[in-house]
Amino acid sequence: MLTRRQLMQQAGGGFGLIGLAGLLQDEGLLEASASAGTLESEKRLALGLGPMAPRPSHFPGRAKRVIWMFINGGPSHVDTWDYKPSLEKWDGKSIKEFDPEFKNTTGFFKDSIGGIMKSPFKFTPRGESGKMVSEIFPYLGEHVDKMAFVHSGFTESNNHSPALFMMNTGLARMGFPCVGSWVTYGLGSESQNLPGFVVMSDPRGRGLPKGSAANWGAAFLPGVYQGTHLRPKGPPIDNLERPSGVSDGEQRSELDLVKQLNQLHRDRFAAETDLAARIESFELAYRMQSAAPEAIDIEAEPEHIKRLYGIDDPKCEHVAKQCLSARRMLERGVRYVQIYSGGMENQLSWDGHADIKGNHQQFAGETDKPVAGLLTDLAQRGLLDDTLVIWGGEFGRLPISQTGGKSPGRDHNPHAFTFWMAGGGVKGGVSHGETDELGYHAAVDKVHVNDMHATILHLLGIDHERLTYKYNGRRFRLTDVAGKVIKPILA
Amino acid sequence: MLTLASRPAGRLILLIALATAESAFALEKPEAPLPADHAAKMAQGLVLFKENVRPILVAKCLNCHGGKATKADFDLSDRKPLIASGMIEGGGKKSQLYAVIAHAEEPHMPLKAPKLPDDAIEKIAQWIDLGAPYDKPLVEKKAVARSSDPTADDRNFWSLRALKIAAPPVVKNEGWIRTPIDRFILAALETKGIAPNPPADRRVLIRRLYFDLVGLPPTPEEVDAFLKDVRPDAYEKLVDGLLDSPRYGERWARRWMDVARFAESHGYEQDYDRPHAFHYRDFLIKAMNQDMPFDKFVAWQLAGDELAPDDPAAMAATGFLGAGAFPTQLTEAEFESARYNELDDMTATTGSAFLGLSVGCARCHDHKYDPIPTEDYYRMAATFASTIRSEVEMPPAPGAEGKPVTVQVTAEGFPHTKHHADDRGFPHFYAKSYVLNRGDVNQKKGEAAPAFLRVLMREGKGAEYWRVEPPKGWTRSTFRRASLARWLTDTEYGAGELAARVIVNRLWQHHFGRGIVATPNDFGIQGERPTHPELLDWLALDLVRNGWTLKRLQKLIVTSAVYLQDGTVDEARTKVDRENAYYWRHAPLRLEAEPIRDSMLAVGGLLDTTMYGPGTLDPNMRRRSVYFQIKRSELIPTMMLFDWPEHLVSIGQRNVTTTAPQALMFMNSALGRSCAEGLAHRLSNQNPAEIVRNAYRIALGREPRDDEAKLSLGFLEGQRDVYKRDGQADADRAAKVDFCQALLSMSELIYIP
Repeated sequence: MLTRRQLMQQAGGGFGLIGLAGLLQDEGLLEASASAGTLESEKRLALGLGPMAPRPSHFPGRAKRVIWMFINGGPSHVDTWDYKPSLEKWDGKSIKEFDPEFKNTTGFFKDSIGGIMKSPFKFTPRGESGKMVSEIFPYLGEHVDKMAFVHSGFTESNNHSPALFMMNTGLARMGFPCVGSWVTYGLGSESQNLPGFVVMSDPRGRGLPKGSAANWGAAFLPGVYQGTHLRPKGPPIDNLERPSGVSDGEQRSELDLVKQLNQLHRDRFAAETDLAARIESFELAYRMQSAAPEAIDIEAEPEHIKRLYGIDDPKCEHVAKQCLSARRMLERGVRYVQIYSGGMENQLSWDGHADIKGNHQQFAGETDKPVAGLLTDLAQRGLLDDTLVIWGGEFGRLPISQTGGKSPGRDHNPHAFTFWMAGGGVKGGVSHGETDELGYHAAVDKVHVNDMHATILHLLGIDHERLTYKYNGRRFRLTDVAGKVIKPILA
Repeated sequence: MLTLASRPAGRLILLIALATAESAFALEKPEAPLPADHAAKMAQGLVLFKENVRPILVAKCLNCHGGKATKADFDLSDRKPLIASGMIEGGGKKSQLYAVIAHAEEPHMPLKAPKLPDDAIEKIAQWIDLGAPYDKPLVEKKAVARSSDPTADDRNFWSLRALKIAAPPVVKNEGWIRTPIDRFILAALETKGIAPNPPADRRVLIRRLYFDLVGLPPTPEEVDAFLKDVRPDAYEKLVDGLLDSPRYGERWARRWMDVARFAESHGYEQDYDRPHAFHYRDFLIKAMNQDMPFDKFVAWQLAGDELAPDDPAAMAATGFLGAGAFPTQLTEAEFESARYNELDDMTATTGSAFLGLSVGCARCHDHKYDPIPTEDYYRMAATFASTIRSEVEMPPAPGAEGKPVTVQVTAEGFPHTKHHADDRGFPHFYAKSYVLNRGDVNQKKGEAAPAFLRVLMREGKGAEYWRVEPPKGWTRSTFRRASLARWLTDTEYGAGELAARVIVNRLWQHHFGRGIVATPNDFGIQGERPTHPELLDWLALDLVRNGWTLKRLQKLIVTSAVYLQDGTVDEARTKVDRENAYYWRHAPLRLEAEPIRDSMLAVGGLLDTTMYGPGTLDPNMRRRSVYFQIKRSELIPTMMLFDWPEHLVSIGQRNVTTTAPQALMFMNSALGRSCAEGLAHRLSNQNPAEIVRNAYRIALGREPRDDEAKLSLGFLEGQRDVYKRDGQADADRAAKVDFCQALLSMSELIYIP
């Protein structure tokens, strides 16, 4: 018999009835809820469904699953969703005229400070809400009435990897669990045949986001909650394919032997609760071999659906495939999907230092139709109501130009960025918060990254202050010691 | 709170905000004006509180929510935390607090106790509607400011006070006793009225001991030899042999690598390699194998460059401090905070690893639970102010032969390791270090003079008491770290007794699966209490009195009756002690990632026992897993499946999970298949009965039972026929490989009873 403490530390090992109760109680999740809901998941756990078994939320959530299109590299808010007509007026002037306190260390490059620069893109009103949208989003512009824009985001680092960690884990340091890990730790997954938390990165060989796998790491949470990164090349998930020369039938009979022998072993150690779970893990694994490729594979999708995502368009077919694949996984119970747009180096992501116009045209072009297709498809399947879609990156960009490149670029701006959410309990066609006249600083109803995270958890039915995990003497949570739900954008 | 509430949004606010410090945080959403009847309501509420609400909260809620404990982080001991909790948002009957006490929502409160009377629930709702006023907090909180010296109470906390010398107790069942340790265990069991188990049989013991001490399975020959050994000290001989095995250091070094958050790359954006960091791993293996006294082991990791500067091993040992992640891509705005983060990594890891104290919690405020004021934190951090990572070319140790080697050190006075941030002029360290307000480099409160945790500085000794003077003419470093090491290992006036408690607990934990203190990195107020405090102190004293050597103490532990017990379970004893907190049986342990993989290779006959040197990321490497290179952005997938740490923060105890991807590894991975093929190869030219018998002996150290043999033989035959039918050229071999793979997938392979 294991101790409660061991069960807590095992998190996943706690397949027994006592295990779950102990786990949930010790972790402060669903505090001491000997509730009907918990009993339900206790039953599931007792069946050996493991650490990813679905668990009840703190309160009924509007969203059941999340997909985050991560606009990697830092999208320029003033060239995308945060329309700033005053930039025309200020164009070419020094930022010091607008803000005498401006420091040239605000962005990343202190020696290439240009003047204030208007957006190279036209903005037009879109949807019933008349939201002003940049011309680089012809398709997403159709969906503004589904979106809640937050224009007043700000973060704490002007440097990619700390800002990526901030956006993913709530702290600008390496070594903390990311949102997807917290969510799957809190809620488990609806599918046991698929990973609960899936990450996709650039399939065009441009690399991972800066900071790599730490962006989807579980840190001190049990490793089972780390994101499963689908490899962009070769088999997407490790060890899904049978060894060469072994057929399904041959493997099945081998697994039957494993099962029988392990069953005999378990009979001799009847008190050890995780042995049953281990036997079940082989059955799950066997099913995963067919379920996971089936979920990821989009070939079975009808042509009109593929076209909806833009698979026929060479500019965006790669993201189209990812978005469609993501929809299939979400539909099959995956809890949390994150797709990174672009790769690692400057200009190979939304990190438009050297040519903001060309850069943003390219990356908007790669994502606009696929994400719009995803919104349409989720909506037509009735999935958008309880699927939270997020669009956003690690920071915004400065309203001034960055000099020294082939064309004007824009440097990092930690003081303001825009993200939007759609579906899953979010109001459509609203905008929350404002930046100043030029989009330099968030100015009205400022939203910290912790607030954004609190809101994501809230939509999932999780109280961000109660989802905790004790590590090295302290209870940690995603929102550290802060976080306020952005109530005005809740439906 | 800034009074900007009524100003129009826009540029005016922006400029004002910029003029104030921390503009990003200064602007808050304006609060709604107070209603006119606010005061009257509060007065009314106060009466209700004093007469009705306070007694209910104190009797039914406080214990778990702000009194003895704060479950679910919900604290109702005062108005501020109550409001901050959000539990009364929405007002009386719409609040979450009401919902749970009225049993409208889960969890029903009070937990596992009768529902509150309706009248009481009603009163609480009214009181919430009246603004939930308190006349005073429900508990008298300890003084919040801890800037004063620790109190006698603080010093008397179980882990911080002096070791208690206790004679091993007298017990009734003398026959069970093998070592003094057993007396502490049995005395506790006897008060509970439950009996311990007898020793396990020899086949179980040899396997348990092999995995515990060397992390590999015994060979069939080693099992046979032990079974046949009739000498009375056969088991003791086995223990000695394993403690002397070079494999021992590989097993135990890896455990310390978790605690030291050791990796060989910087992490963050570029995750540059630290190509000379592996010497630290090699130092650990050698130190463990040579049974380096633990006080020296501590001192070298903190200050090897000062204490034994000519010894490459001592230099490599300082890799400990510099093993943390560091963002080599930095902007000017981040330089100083990055350096304070680095100091924090060194300070917090030192605290967790050696003292089992969450020192890092005192960075932004005085420690909320333990007697560690922020000032102490910054003074301890100041020890490392000029300590940086460097690469130093070392001639061989005096008297030793060989070529010079480049070693990564964490020291003072050597040129810093070059990296990306140098391009922008990152200074690597600042000569002065400060006490910061809320951990913010823009809020310096005065210079921090190096010192230690006051609660562990006894009898009025000041920091100078532990001052180690450098040799004459020494200018390279400050000897602050040598002084820190002296304090850390000083059992008389310093932190040495706590350090001894912490390390003996780690040993115990690895032998029994759970420490005497179940939270090995937290011996503070929030940590677990020891199940056997006298035993813990006895072990710590025993360690210190015998020159801090670990192997001797481990031998004592593994030759104790409590360790030798079998795993038998019965209902009666389970009822008394379900968690086996009193050790009436030996509970099976799931192996960690390294021994799982290493065993598979050993069983497959593929294990390469080459020691030391650079590691590799190649998943097909056949050396022991301790020789995997640990690159933070490319953690070895097979290891990660079995709860390998991310090597970013100190980990005292790994999680243990059971997942489907683990099963996929056994079923489909190149590792699983090649080990199965390797085992099959070892069974060449054998008949099916021999194959089954020998496969069991090699993989599980025992003969197959009849039912197992029957199933196995049936499988070999049936599977061969299937392969034949499918046109496989060598159907016998294919079936044999599948059988071997099945054996490698056995729970018995990775659960050690």
